[in-house]
Amino acid sequence: MIYADKKTGVIVCGATGNQGSFHIDRMNQYARSVGGRGVVAGVTPGKGGQEVHGVPVYDSILQAAKNQDASAAVLFVPGSAAGDSIMEAADAGLDLVVAITEHIPVHDVMKAVTYAEFRGCNVIGPNCPGLFSPGEISMGIMPAHLASRGPVGVISRSGTLTYEVVHELTRAGIGQSSIVGIGGDPIIGQTFADALGQFAKDPETKAVVILGELGGNLEEEGARAAELPVVAFIAGTTAPPEKRMGHAGAIVTGGEGDAVAKIERLKKTGVPVADRLSQIPSLIRELL
Amino acid sequence: MKMKEYEAKEILSKAGIRIPRGLHIKKGVEFMVTPAIREAVVKAQVEVAGRGKAGGILMAEYDQIPKTVEQLFNAEIKGVPVEEILIEEKLNIQHEYYLSITIDRSKKAPVILFTTEGGVDIEEVAQKNPDAIRKAMVHPLLSTIPGYTLRYLLNGAPKEIGQVIQKLYTVFMTQDAILAEINPLVMTPDGLYAADGKIILDDNALARHGITENRDLSERERQADAYGFSFVELSGNIGVIGNGAGLTMATVDLINNLGGKPANFLDVGGGADRVRVAHAVRLLGKMPDVKVIIVNLLGGITRCDEVAAGIIEAGVGQKIIVRLAGTNETEGKALLSSKGYLMLDTMEEAVKAAVEAAS
Repeated sequence: MIYADKKTGVIVCGATGNQGSFHIDRMNQYARSVGGRGVVAGVTPGKGGQEVHGVPVYDSILQAAKNQDASAAVLFVPGSAAGDSIMEAADAGLDLVVAITEHIPVHDVMKAVTYAEFRGCNVIGPNCPGLFSPGEISMGIMPAHLASRGPVGVISRSGTLTYEVVHELTRAGIGQSSIVGIGGDPIIGQTFADALGQFAKDPETKAVVILGELGGNLEEEGARAAELPVVAFIAGTTAPPEKRMGHAGAIVTGGEGDAVAKIERLKKTGVPVADRLSQIPSLIRELL
Repeated sequence: MKMKEYEAKEILSKAGIRIPRGLHIKKGVEFMVTPAIREAVVKAQVEVAGRGKAGGILMAEYDQIPKTVEQLFNAEIKGVPVEEILIEEKLNIQHEYYLSITIDRSKKAPVILFTTEGGVDIEEVAQKNPDAIRKAMVHPLLSTIPGYTLRYLLNGAPKEIGQVIQKLYTVFMTQDAILAEINPLVMTPDGLYAADGKIILDDNALARHGITENRDLSERERQADAYGFSFVELSGNIGVIGNGAGLTMATVDLINNLGGKPANFLDVGGGADRVRVAHAVRLLGKMPDVKVIIVNLLGGITRCDEVAAGIIEAGVGQKIIVRLAGTNETEGKALLSSKGYLMLDTMEEAVKAAVEAAS
């Protein structure tokens, strides 16, 4: 597994909101089922002293980190505040921030991610389902029952597409080491290349599925640097140009990021690309 | 959201970049141009690529301006009606430059492009003479562009252009722009002018600049936006509802690959409840070309029983094909089968059925 494990203590920001409180409960249910530490603190400014599903809430990330043994944070805060939360988490000395939040202004992401990396803090997301390592830890919103533990890493720009593929892999009897939702925004913290680098250091992972989509060129960049065997799927091959397909980052501009061209470039680097999601398990089996 | 030319130029002017003397007018409103403008450029304020070549930019002597304006208001530029016009003093052009700032996604930083070969299509310059284009990143936590970066960009061009680059960078960073472009940036005997300006704002940052409505959306896209959907109109006859951008996109792709024609892309978003699903189905139900609707939902936080109730509540006339998996799947399926809906277990089966039903 990569980025975090059973021993990781997690802080949830936006703890008292609907989403935050719902997912604290789910993450801790999972932590209990695998004997992990899970969420040890929540943060909502002005609500310090309260509890959410038995988890103590603090006014700031710094306070939470001082009072509880935690090294990572998951953000459910609104888009207008999330950039600041990323920097606050990096300032509090955390190693990892998972930003679930969608609709963060791109300039905020650009500055916050740069700042966090400068402080030695990895950012996963924003606009992502988070990190899930079967049998170890859930840091985000991925449904636990679809996953199973095994030798395949999954890196994805999209939430439900990830669930679909994890579901297919599990049904085919192929387990996963870690599933990383890197996010659907134009600028994200950990890229395909970064997550592939982490998987390369993980002895359990033997091959990686990368789930990309139109927009940008992070898939090709990752595939070129990959040390492990990789299978890819790219969504948006039939999307109209200059239209944003749901994700802020899923847009072809000035010819850059076209999904069909992206697939061609991936194939040139020797990466098998699945035309359909249902082909992924058999393609990955050939690499194991 | 794309700014119109006159709006972009107002922003540039406030930042201290000189723009040609001029007047912005709306259709049906009386106007008067100062006689100091002897020769004018009359420009349609439409979002059309290649506006000049399509007849959206006309030249006029002072006494011909009213006639030219009338002519342009009565014209359509590539099918787009002209509602607003910018009348500007014609510049005495000595040289044209190209300048733009955007975001480099893999470097996670603002990237500045500058070339002394402005006034033309930048992609054309990139192909014919790539060495003429200078490109530099700026560290995103800096508010001032370092001198060495400016010197590299200018490549011997007049130094005062460096000040324009710095001002445009300030606009880019303070306005939450995803593109700020001046093409051409014009050198005249009187100094530098932004003869054209293009600014695109980040849709996620409109609220903090006091903009409440994104003009770039069509009426149907606006309705969808109000319900929290991501929606793109396409031209086929199979309505598509999915949850999550990637899965919905993959559904649209699979329809196309199997020979069908998707009518739209609609991502209901995470945790969609009965009411939102009913809205989504009704929205597609109202599209005249839609013959069949495919609902492909994989529930994580989305509950399948809520989705099923929403589909039934919408009560549209078109055939609906459903693929549901995940949280409360059994309850959702039971609800739908009691009403006789066609349900399939995998995404591929569902898409095949939809393509057949629509052909």
